[in-house]
Amino acid sequence: MNPTQIAEGKAVGQGVLRVDAEAKVAGQARYIDDLGFPGMVHAQVVRSDRPHARLRRLDLSPVLAHPKVVAVVTPRDIPGQNCVPIIYRDMPALAEDVVRYVGEPVALVAAETREAAREAALRARIDFEDLPAVFDPLEALNPGAPQAAVREAAEQGNVFNAMRIRKGNVEEGFAQADVIVEGEYRVGYQEHLYLEPQGVIAVPEEGGMTVYGSLQCPFYVQNAVATVLGLPFAKVRIVQTVTGGGFGGKEDVPSHLAAMAALLAWKSKRPVKLVYDRDEDIATTSKRHPGIIRYRTGAKRDGTLTAVEVEFFYNAGAYQTLSSAVLWRGLIHAAGPYRIPHVKVDGYSVATHTVPCGAFRGFGSPQVIFAHESQMDELAKALGMDPLALRAKNALRVGDRTATDQVLEESVGLWECIERVRALARWDELQREVEEFNRRERFRRRGLGVSTVMYGVGMGAKAPLLDKAGAYVKLEVDGSVTVAVGTTEMGQGAQTVLSQIAAEALGVPISSVQIAPVDTSRVPDSGPTVASRTTTVQGQAIVDAAAKLRQRIDQAVRLILECPQFTLEGQTFCASGAARRRATLADVARWMWAHNWDMGATGWVEAAPVDWDPQTGLGKAYFVYSYAAHLAEVEVDLLTGEVKVTRFWAVHDSGKIVNPDTARGQVLGGIAQGIGYALLEELVSQDGRILYPTLTAYHIPTSADVPEVAVEFGEAPYSAGPFGAKGLGEVPLMASHVAVANAISRAVGRRLRQYPALPQRVLELVEGGLG
Amino acid sequence: MFGPIVKPKDLREAVQRVAEGGRPLAGGTDLFVRIRKGLEKPGMLVYVGELPELGVLRATREGLEIGAARTHSELLESPLTEPFPILRKTLGTIASPALRAMGTLGGNLVNASPAGDSLVALYLLEAQVRIVGPQGERELFVQEFIQGPGKTGLRPGELVVSVFLPYVEGEPVSYFRKVGRRQALYISVVSLGALVWLDGEKITKARLALGSVAPTVVRPRAVEEALVGRLAHVEAVQDLVSLLSSLVQPISDLRASADYRRKVSGNLLLDLALFLQNRK
Ligand SMILES: Cc1cc2nc3c(=O)[nH]c(=O)nc-3n(C[C@H](O)[C@H](O)[C@H](O)COP(=O)(O)OP(=O)(O)OC[C@H]3O[C@@H](n4cnc5c(N)ncnc54)[C@H](O)[C@@H]3O)c2cc1C
Repeated sequence: MNPTQIAEGKAVGQGVLRVDAEAKVAGQARYIDDLGFPGMVHAQVVRSDRPHARLRRLDLSPVLAHPKVVAVVTPRDIPGQNCVPIIYRDMPALAEDVVRYVGEPVALVAAETREAAREAALRARIDFEDLPAVFDPLEALNPGAPQAAVREAAEQGNVFNAMRIRKGNVEEGFAQADVIVEGEYRVGYQEHLYLEPQGVIAVPEEGGMTVYGSLQCPFYVQNAVATVLGLPFAKVRIVQTVTGGGFGGKEDVPSHLAAMAALLAWKSKRPVKLVYDRDEDIATTSKRHPGIIRYRTGAKRDGTLTAVEVEFFYNAGAYQTLSSAVLWRGLIHAAGPYRIPHVKVDGYSVATHTVPCGAFRGFGSPQVIFAHESQMDELAKALGMDPLALRAKNALRVGDRTATDQVLEESVGLWECIERVRALARWDELQREVEEFNRRERFRRRGLGVSTVMYGVGMGAKAPLLDKAGAYVKLEVDGSVTVAVGTTEMGQGAQTVLSQIAAEALGVPISSVQIAPVDTSRVPDSGPTVASRTTTVQGQAIVDAAAKLRQRIDQAVRLILECPQFTLEGQTFCASGAARRRATLADVARWMWAHNWDMGATGWVEAAPVDWDPQTGLGKAYFVYSYAAHLAEVEVDLLTGEVKVTRFWAVHDSGKIVNPDTARGQVLGGIAQGIGYALLEELVSQDGRILYPTLTAYHIPTSADVPEVAVEFGEAPYSAGPFGAKGLGEVPLMASHVAVANAISRAVGRRLRQYPALPQRVLELVEGGLG
Repeated sequence: MFGPIVKPKDLREAVQRVAEGGRPLAGGTDLFVRIRKGLEKPGMLVYVGELPELGVLRATREGLEIGAARTHSELLESPLTEPFPILRKTLGTIASPALRAMGTLGGNLVNASPAGDSLVALYLLEAQVRIVGPQGERELFVQEFIQGPGKTGLRPGELVVSVFLPYVEGEPVSYFRKVGRRQALYISVVSLGALVWLDGEKITKARLALGSVAPTVVRPRAVEEALVGRLAHVEAVQDLVSLLSSLVQPISDLRASADYRRKVSGNLLLDLALFLQNRK
């Protein structure tokens, strides 16, 4: 009997309860601010209140005079390099000569209490010499604009990165078109608003440094701490604590917090806690990039797309952080999930004197998706075509070429998603219901909006070095199983899904699998926990390790049962034939232990190769894609401009769904976050200053803002994913917001070209459109 | 961040403490937010939430007396507030269940925010505010009591003991519409409340009150008068939309522009008319 046959267990595909649910619901999970260490002190960051200025003088003597202050740190106290390495190395841990955004750290204070640290930090005296600043990305591109980017980190002036795609010839494509639509779309910041704000505790230990923290990517943090302290990596240990949400916001930012806390801990020789409060978190940490996006799309009379031309600008903020990768994902996703022969895309990430933007669920794609899916609707209108039919007609299928000329070899479930959402929502009937409602109602209008998206799973060709994962799977002496991986649980359900994959691959019950805490000294570097890659890539590493362990278990079973063939009944191995011997996995484990067998196995996986040419923008951008079709119904109040999302339908192809319940949770959460992006979330900034960094001003959806959602999965399996799984996490957010936006545009008869659709903005549309 | 919290044994001591400069504390849902933002640094907080005089809820022949420390959820649940559907409608839109269980009517009133939702009901019901202080007791109508954003007629050392709601004659229709940026847990951008007395389709009397469109809640008397004698139909009130818009003095703030508020103030008259028209 071979291991894969035995592996046909019952774990994958089950709606297993989240393994972390009970502790979180009961309030037993201990988040970073719940933890303390003997002698621990509290950190406060002294920040710039100028968008761009020369730091003339920094006087911390009044800070030091505070009786409860233990230590201060300025760039002079940095034993290693003053740099938070992310993709580039332009961002200092503490600004040295020049500050580039409001909120940039310039010094650090540690005190006996959090209040004392806060009070003392306010006493810092800083002499700034203001320098000209620029906040708008288009203005930053003007010749003679103030220089925001650190020169070595920029391609030219304030252009951090410029990227392009040239496929076919768009002039030719537009010449073939019967209809061309055109538009400019604008989006602002979106704030992650993870429930738990950013926080770390740095603990000096054994000549090195250990940092505990709420974070997604421990190995990024290890790099940052080793860099600022000038320590070997082996002396720096990062331990992820229970993490209350990330959404990308804890991809790069924790590196900065950890670097700062570690500097204070190094200097004071005491454990240092640095936990942001909500206002500080909103004002100074990364967000979704604001964007200005211009599109032209051409189609033949029958709806066949002929060409798309895109130019888009993302406001990156003052430092590179992850912007080059964000821009790249935006670029690759700009043309949407369609067959288009002629594609021209130019994307720019632009430096300004504003808070650095970074990773956020969707990673540069939601902005361009707002535009491309709006264009598809405008096209449908211009052609007099059903918007679902237009999408179905152009939907990518197996064998088609993407915008980057990649041939899709397998696992393309888009068309099926579109047809299923049509059936799920009873599309024809639904349209009649809406028309009837609109005839009946005097001051309310309903509208339906659809969207389809594709999502490149994993890091893609821009960062292939990071798309790997390791796993260590260990059979304990009693038959239970410990799994060590380098990707993290941040609330998305990774521990549960990875447990299911391990259980399935080993043929053991899920309850006997335990995922080990993530500690960089004890788990393999599995690349970052981002890009909807954990189930697919990390899961496959577990499958690899489990297969190796399985072979040894099988061998042991044969020796114990003294027979070459056996069957598995429930959890018991049974010798076939006349011999009636049996052994449980616990028996086998004990036997292996007693015979001094190696009971652990390491797994390793490298994602399937990708390859992309920056000159043409063509190539195999990602190893596989996930897909979705969303449909939203909204109701607009014509007197006030208020919008309510009334019904929602979503169908996703993410390959095999490992856990339908957690997958559904991802879809609902993504839809909620997308509703927030489209309708509510506005972070006003003026001259580089976030004016109201509070929850009073920044509205995310409440449960009352999210309607009933019907969710289905069309599972086009991916051959190189664990049991056929692809990624899901980011996709629902990417698709949902623009379904809502399209529904609003339909309802009011005018095109919404800017997020969020606040009542005031919608009322203006209504007045312009309905007269 | 703030001084000690004292719990006076009776109303007398409470008044004394407040006269010494103590700050009344009821549910704390406004006060602690302000303290945390650094807008206030009270030396002493005087917890008034459990004083018996502030906990009354008593129906008399003339009306209902509500102790200042009664919470929104208590008022929403009590059968005694049934004769005042407008009060329930406004209180039901305040914040979230948790905050309604903490926040009090007295706190909402003394907070004197133009967006205070209960104030719309209190203006419509022409409530009286009962006050006690070092000089004894007195009463003010709500529109005298509220003087501007965060400003009331309370003199140093005074406390609000209760609010008196006189019964209204007949059976007016109650209407409340709160416009904001999401479906729950939001501060109003514009609100309109109304009590409308009807004789068949005809309006015989109307009281209107708007929130968040001026330094205080606004009673647009000219519109109230102009409505009398009209049919309760959208068409019949259309010409009053611009009049209503002209009677508010909104500001632009983070929630909306003054223009938007002005426009929506008027538009809500149409919503009210449609509501009356579609009733039953
Ligand atoms: C998240 C959030 C959402 C909110 N949403 C809404 C909303 O939708 N609508 C709305 O109207 N409000 C809202 N509020 C404001 C607040 O909840 C209400 O105003 C509440 O009624 C205040 O009551 P309290 O008992 O908590 O007042 P407190 O905070 O205890 O006191 C408020 C003020 O009144 C004074 N005070 C209290 N009692 C007395 C008294 N008896 N005599 C004299 N002075 C007194 C205090 O000194 C203080 O100045 C919200 C608040 C929060 C935090």
